[in-house]
Amino acid sequence: MTIAEMPRFVRADGPDKVTGTGRYIADLSLTGMLHAKLKYAGISHGRIVAINTAAALAMPGVVSVLTADDVPDVRYSPGVADRTLFAKDVVRFEGDVVAAVAATTPEIAAAAVAAIEVTYEELPVVGDLEAALKADSPLVHDSWQTYESGETVQGHNIASRSSLDRGDAKAAMATAHTVVTSRYVADGSHAAPIEPRGVVAQWEGNKVTIWSSTQVPFDARSGVCETLGLPTSRVRIIVPHLGGGFGGKCGFHFEAHIAALARAAKRPVRLVFSREEEFRAPDRRREGMIIDITTGLDADGAIVARIGHALLDCGAYIADGAFFPQLAAMHISGPYKVPNLFIDASLVYTNHQPSGSVRAPTAPTACWALESHTDELAAAAGIDPVAFRKLNCVDTGTEGPTGQLFGEIGLQRCIDAATSLAGYGTDLPDDEAIGVSVGWWPSFGVPSGAFVKLDSDGFGQIVTGAQECGTGAVMTLRQLAAEELGMDPENFELVYQDTSAAPWDLGATGSQTLFNNGRAVIGASQQIAEQLRELAANELEAAAADIVLANGMASVKGSPEASISIAALAGIAAGGELLLGHGSGTPPEAPEAVGTTCVGDQGVAAWVAPQFSCHAVHVKLDRDTGVVRVLDVSAAHDSGTIINPVGASGQVHGGILMGIGQALTEGTTYADDGRQVNAGLLEYKLQTAADTPEIRLEFVQINTPNAGPHGAKGIAEAPNVATPGAISNAIAKLVGSPVRQLPMTAERIWEKLDGGAQ
Amino acid sequence: MQFSIATTLDDALAALAAGSRPVAGGSDLVVGARHGKGSLPDSVVAIDRIAALSNIESTPTGLRIGSTVTHAILMEHPDIVNGYTALADASALVGSPSTRNIGTLGGNVMNASPAMDTGAPLNVLGASVELQSAEDESHEVSVASLWTGPGKTSARPDELCTAILLPHRPPRSGSAYVRLEYRRAMEIAVVGAAASVELHEDGTIAEVRVALAAVAPTIISVDVSAIIGASVDEATLAAVAAAASERATPISDVRASEKYRRHTVGVMARRAVEAAAKRANGEHIAVPVNRAVGVGAATLQATGVTK
Amino acid sequence: MSSDMTPVTISVNGTDYPVTISPSRNLLSVLRDEVGLTGTKEGCDDCECGACMVLLDGQPINSCSYLAAQTEGRSVTTIEGLVTGDELHPMQRNILEEGGVQCGFCTPGMIMSTCALLERCPNPTQEEIQIGLSGNLCRCTGYGTIIAAVARTAAEA
Repeated sequence: MTIAEMPRFVRADGPDKVTGTGRYIADLSLTGMLHAKLKYAGISHGRIVAINTAAALAMPGVVSVLTADDVPDVRYSPGVADRTLFAKDVVRFEGDVVAAVAATTPEIAAAAVAAIEVTYEELPVVGDLEAALKADSPLVHDSWQTYESGETVQGHNIASRSSLDRGDAKAAMATAHTVVTSRYVADGSHAAPIEPRGVVAQWEGNKVTIWSSTQVPFDARSGVCETLGLPTSRVRIIVPHLGGGFGGKCGFHFEAHIAALARAAKRPVRLVFSREEEFRAPDRRREGMIIDITTGLDADGAIVARIGHALLDCGAYIADGAFFPQLAAMHISGPYKVPNLFIDASLVYTNHQPSGSVRAPTAPTACWALESHTDELAAAAGIDPVAFRKLNCVDTGTEGPTGQLFGEIGLQRCIDAATSLAGYGTDLPDDEAIGVSVGWWPSFGVPSGAFVKLDSDGFGQIVTGAQECGTGAVMTLRQLAAEELGMDPENFELVYQDTSAAPWDLGATGSQTLFNNGRAVIGASQQIAEQLRELAANELEAAAADIVLANGMASVKGSPEASISIAALAGIAAGGELLLGHGSGTPPEAPEAVGTTCVGDQGVAAWVAPQFSCHAVHVKLDRDTGVVRVLDVSAAHDSGTIINPVGASGQVHGGILMGIGQALTEGTTYADDGRQVNAGLLEYKLQTAADTPEIRLEFVQINTPNAGPHGAKGIAEAPNVATPGAISNAIAKLVGSPVRQLPMTAERIWEKLDGGAQ
Repeated sequence: MQFSIATTLDDALAALAAGSRPVAGGSDLVVGARHGKGSLPDSVVAIDRIAALSNIESTPTGLRIGSTVTHAILMEHPDIVNGYTALADASALVGSPSTRNIGTLGGNVMNASPAMDTGAPLNVLGASVELQSAEDESHEVSVASLWTGPGKTSARPDELCTAILLPHRPPRSGSAYVRLEYRRAMEIAVVGAAASVELHEDGTIAEVRVALAAVAPTIISVDVSAIIGASVDEATLAAVAAAASERATPISDVRASEKYRRHTVGVMARRAVEAAAKRANGEHIAVPVNRAVGVGAATLQATGVTK
Repeated sequence: MSSDMTPVTISVNGTDYPVTISPSRNLLSVLRDEVGLTGTKEGCDDCECGACMVLLDGQPINSCSYLAAQTEGRSVTTIEGLVTGDELHPMQRNILEEGGVQCGFCTPGMIMSTCALLERCPNPTQEEIQIGLSGNLCRCTGYGTIIAAVARTAAEA
């Protein structure tokens, strides 16, 4: 079925959102609720000499003030346990939380935070990735060797390190006909959801309910349990409507701080971030990188070897970044046939804000570097960049850079489709160009659960652990249940985002919701379908195997007149065995990476149901100023079967705009003292409606085995991978060489033009 | 904070005499207070309901723009668009539709930000402001002598800006304001330049003024008298760019380096002179120039969105 | 903090709300915390995101940066004021049907800006729509579907 033939998708949460009646975290209030404010370090590195909270506590309206002394002494974080709820002894970035206040009004809470006196002995700031690795560099964590780190490989200011090694890259490079070496340097960037985060916590007896703007409620629950020493049975996380995440609201953040405050204050407490806090405090920022790539080609332009090194700015704490070095290595390898490969990547501690999973972590940045490098390779080989990719990119039946053997994949078709949509190759004015980039991204197979039930009137509920962050993935679950049961999607209510009501799910992360929870919903629905067939068989005096569920009716195959409504069957079931289904199922297994050695393997050397894309971006350059405008973007995506075309194209459009921002205007600037200089929406520039280009999109749909429901792969992150690389290649055509710095700001482009000559 | 709403000029002047600070839309004040640029004043008087301050009227000497006239009005008012086009260009680039709806010319003038978009146009159009207090008769001050530094004016705290006065435009004249933009909306001037050009019958330059935004502690004018008598050609425009870059004393900050600002303000100045000259010559360049020509032009806009 | 509390009447969606507030309070916080209408959102606090957009006498304003006391005697329209009975405003329906709603946090502001735009400019060009919405940041959709919804709303009027 083509996109045009598929039914339009209207979201179940739509009426809440368009009428303003939908509740987000800042819209919630509880009787007796207090307001929280966090005291941040404000400096990037320092030893805490003294904390004096007396003046804050003495202020009328201040109910409680907490520091590290008031909570269990627990070090946490997945990968490396390098963090505590409140900074103890040392602060390592400007947003490190030193204390928290609960007061009767936000103004009093803010005044109390200002009245907390913290004395620091300032320590040298680690800000430069290469300097941080030198033996004489100060350490961000001087007792790192005592931290629990599991499988994560660590070192001097290295939070996590990974290398991929296949064949003999060095020897093969020596035999190469053409060798190109490039360096690319990228600033960090932000997820910047429009809703700043918030948390509300309320204790009843020994149980706490926490409303949080999190993308990962079960992960948030684990964090609260771990840091406050509570079993999961005493912690309930509820997420109201979530105002966007893009990874920025993944992980466990401030839920435990607010729960601890509420317990101390004996009253509910609410925290709502300002935009500036949203920029400075969370440990979810896209990592800055330095990437060096050397690739060798044979005389025909085929890749024979690649050697790459990457340094990623971890910031002060590892957050969920332990797997970033390996992910970055995969993106520096790229969806190319590379018989001899060595990539080494390190996540480097600095005194910057911690990085963490932002939409396709490491990918847009590493892909930008690799794809810019690829155009340099094509030029060196004297081959058109598109032809070069057609020659070297993976295809059905070939091996990827880590030896993974691909089944049917659509990358080559994506290249054809995107370049065709873009009119690649037609003559353009000399201040315009089209750049092309390919990208890839894994699907993540993990466990996930759902319940489905039908009430006596034939209306149903899907009770799912999945989290809706705006993408529509949870909304789409109704289609899957409806299809199994022959019902209208509108007949299902969604009950979601409550850890005490629903089975476990990983959350709105890794583009995994439909991929994994879809399987769970289908499984649960199939159980009910079986029950309905049994009931109908009984009523219609037919074999259960002959009952067909369609259009709200159960009928006998071949005798449509012998039928009964599903609503009637549900009424019958209400007097006996209720219609309840539960689903989870087995996640698809990751393929093998044959012949590749991984040091610091975090499990992503081969990808389940990998997604592929090609973007062709048409830009116009103002040569006098370096200002670039994106005129149109042509995108082709292989994300398997597209189940919800409106939702899927919404992901592509949004991902492309985010990619344009990352390419041109979005970058975190740090002062030498390690603090962000542009922590606001005036100086950190998102694309506006006035900037949005025409976007042309084609889905290359392949019903992919060993993937999600109906052969679907993920879709939310993949569109955010290829755009910056394509823009870079368009700019390079106009400027004569790649800009090599991300974002490719007007000034940086101008430096390549006139500026360098002056 | 004390707050009052004045409905007459006398009420407003009395409030100022008593120490109140005037607000029209108030956004600069409210945002500024929250961002630590100074707390909210103890007393504020709203002046946006004073009818006498909200008119645009022709006078024997030119045009009188009430201080609470908004950018949304200025960018479409025929007298401004046709006669004082640089001011329309600038007004159309301020912030967003809602900030243009709230922001006033008087607010800009009295905030005295060196990055204000309307400042350079007012400079090249020879504007002065009318100041009035409860104590004194109203008097006029040129914008150049009003602006003394970033956020600083020569006006006394009890003086209210009641109007901005623009002298008549000569025949065969045109003006324009051009701004460097990293995106097509929601920008603050990284650098900007305004120009006013009067042409002789033969197309050579009879009079020219250029002023720059965001490259000095105040809006500054550039001496371009050397191109008077010249035709508007590449050499002339290059001279304008060089003079503007030379005159600028920009800083380096998160928006741009000193070097890049110095270069681009020259580009903006030449583009402003070029557009002003074309307008003087009767060519139509839609308001704002940034959306009419070049990389920000509306004509490059996508014609549809693929679904 | 509150020694300067002043009685003010705020008229929202046709209903007068007498409130006693500090005159330094912005309209956004008074709408949300005193009037009790939370459809108007706070995404920044300096007119950069547009989530707080409301209409004041039909004109768009960023309620985060407008003093509540300054609305005395004027009429404020919020997203909650657009629904008549069960009937959605055409833009509310169209933004949903075009796929212009994802996380929904920018949606109320987008709809209010659309109302202001179409009031002033009933048949907007693509460029006029894009500029008309340029003060409302959206991180989810890429804007295309929202722009299409505005065009459809204009065409249907």
